[in-house]
Amino acid sequence: MKRKTIALLGNPNVGKTSLFNRLTKLNQKVGNYPGITVDKRIGTLKTNTTEYKIIDLPGTYTLFPSSLDEEVVFNILSNQTNEDFPDLTVVVTEPSSINRGIVIYQQVRELGLPAIFVVNMIDEVDQKGLHIDYPALENYLQTKVLKTNARSGEGIDQLIQNFNIELKPYFGAFDLPQKYQDALHDAKQVFPLATEYLTWQYLAQNSISNLSLEKRSALQRIRQSHQLDIQELQKDESISRHDKIAKNLASIILKKENKRLSITEKVDNLLIHPVLGYVIFFGLLFLIFQAIYSWAGPLMDGIDTLFVSLSDAIAATLPKGPLSSLLINGVIAGIGGIVIFLPQIVILFLFIAIMEETGYMSRVVFLMDRWLRPFGLNGKSVIPLMSGAACAIPAVMSARNIENPKERLLTILVTPFMTCSARLPIYIVIIGLVIPDETFLGFNLQGITLFGMYILGIVGALLSALILNKIIKSIRKSFLIFELPTYKVPDWKNVLNTVWEKSLGFLVGAGKIILAISIILWVLGNFGPNDRFSNPETYIAEANPEFSQEEIDNEVTAYKTEYSFLGYLGRGIEPAIKPLGYDWKIGIGLLASFAAREVFVGTMAVVYSLGEDIDIEDESQKQTLFGRMKSEINRNTGKPTYNFATGISLLLFYAFAMQCMATIGVVKRETGSWKWTLIQTGFMTGLAYLVALVAYQLLK
Amino acid sequence: MQNNITLDKLKKGEKATIHSFKSNELPAKFYELGFTPGAPIEIKHIAPLKGPMCINIIEQDSLIAIRRKEANLILISRI
Repeated sequence: MKRKTIALLGNPNVGKTSLFNRLTKLNQKVGNYPGITVDKRIGTLKTNTTEYKIIDLPGTYTLFPSSLDEEVVFNILSNQTNEDFPDLTVVVTEPSSINRGIVIYQQVRELGLPAIFVVNMIDEVDQKGLHIDYPALENYLQTKVLKTNARSGEGIDQLIQNFNIELKPYFGAFDLPQKYQDALHDAKQVFPLATEYLTWQYLAQNSISNLSLEKRSALQRIRQSHQLDIQELQKDESISRHDKIAKNLASIILKKENKRLSITEKVDNLLIHPVLGYVIFFGLLFLIFQAIYSWAGPLMDGIDTLFVSLSDAIAATLPKGPLSSLLINGVIAGIGGIVIFLPQIVILFLFIAIMEETGYMSRVVFLMDRWLRPFGLNGKSVIPLMSGAACAIPAVMSARNIENPKERLLTILVTPFMTCSARLPIYIVIIGLVIPDETFLGFNLQGITLFGMYILGIVGALLSALILNKIIKSIRKSFLIFELPTYKVPDWKNVLNTVWEKSLGFLVGAGKIILAISIILWVLGNFGPNDRFSNPETYIAEANPEFSQEEIDNEVTAYKTEYSFLGYLGRGIEPAIKPLGYDWKIGIGLLASFAAREVFVGTMAVVYSLGEDIDIEDESQKQTLFGRMKSEINRNTGKPTYNFATGISLLLFYAFAMQCMATIGVVKRETGSWKWTLIQTGFMTGLAYLVALVAYQLLK
Repeated sequence: MQNNITLDKLKKGEKATIHSFKSNELPAKFYELGFTPGAPIEIKHIAPLKGPMCINIIEQDSLIAIRRKEANLILISRI
């Protein structure tokens, strides 16, 4: 059986992904291109004679890259030794932007690659009042032109039959401007084997990552000696192509009036209205949050129950001992901690995918760009930031839509500052302990404090963006240009596929890291270096001769925690956290929280020997924990551990510190860089420490 | 005929043709999306407080949004 590689290439919003899904019948996988995080979507298609590897290249308007995505396209198509170099390129367009598709089609052909031309969304030809003379178009493009409707499946078989097409040699459409001939001549000496157009592309691009340093500096010398400005080279090519195509298409595509745009315009008058547009957008956000909280709640409870019964089943089957404890408290607790977020992630991505598919997302970018730009962010940062108030994990993933790498990185770095749902239980406990339950000007003080914490998250994110914006160097100039596509009914297959892909990516990607850290924490919490850990009963009885057996048993868990490795670590970091007003018990809570913030409440319950299964929503259980925590005396200061100063200090620490290994895992995956992941963790935790320190020292 | 105004000076609903560019700074994407000399355009929407502008490239029936900073580099003639 023959093997062939087919690349799908085209502008954004032409239905390329729907076509890809049709061709591969969802028989596809998503990976990363080496070294960067641009999604690499590859699928397979088998016919009687051939097995095709189909690559869905990122959407682009030209081979001159202006984002990481677009760089991938050029690197694959310009390098015959690339593992994804196609045997045939399929250029996908839609009826109203055929001229733009031809630009990239011509560029590909002139690089020397065989290509066929697809007009997708063929049902829109009539709707848009167009008449296309296909034989003339085929003649002009010197290739086969195919008509498809990826949503209905029309024309797909015909397209597949043409994957084996033999094309005649192509005659280029672009005449290199006379004024660049000398420079081009010099560049040809550097690349004796390349086509003329590829040489021109090398000359007209700044940093081509798959060329050797030597060749790059040779190009730079040629540009200098001929005083070439790459922007001008690109501009000259674009305009020359555009003018020629417009002239040639005049007799091939006839236009009557466009009906679709007039509907889109009416909807836009409402959705991007200077006032109403914002009202509608924030209303929609409110709806999404409601959905995330109310729909995800029961599902999360269900998952929780499932994992509890799984633990019970294991506890009943396996003999009590380290193995069952590792499985229950390490592995299952770790996996459960990830799966529990799945409902929120699925719901959030469902909304985001629908917003993308309908074309509304571009409108949001249009509305929000002005407000986020001063912070070094982009209109598109609004989705990750808002999602961050539910959970930073899907939020960080949704930053993929941002083209500019610096703005995307900044967005990923500051999103975890937003007050996520995992911070809520901690806030409730601490606010309940240190903020009086009184009213001030008719408002409940505890409520005001909680609201303040949410505001603090937003302020933290924006101010950090402002600081990091000064530090991070940009490899590309920030600019914004995007198309507002006509409104469409979403392609539900695409929506479901996106949700499935992202949810799975989260489970597998972040899951590995969470599992590893959970196991490490379990080991540290369940083993101790000496006899005090292995024989706690003896020591408790010695220290408290008056204790009954029952009282001793109650103390065992707390005692073991104190003398476990985790307990020693807690006491080890005590000097560092003492200035913040914490004792070693809070230290243990902090350390455990680095797995996930919500662990704090459970850990505190263990440390104060109340048993792990404390339900903070159960009033009487909450009061027990509160009573125990309130009476707790800090042995360093002799004052109550949870006083106003410590409480505020703790609140601030939890507001800013990066204490969620799931987020750390996702950030690593999304940035593809340990450097930025560690900088973020260090920056957030450092800031948290500093702010908590200042607050405690001022308030104590 | 006013030749020396830049695109960012136009108001909602105004039409113009693109004349030339103030500098070569614009990325190739601008030309690819239809900001080419001679192209007729119409301002469809403007986000408040000097936010981005939404421009209809009339010949392609497409809506393109750009920031004012870049609109300031595009010279136009009002129609």
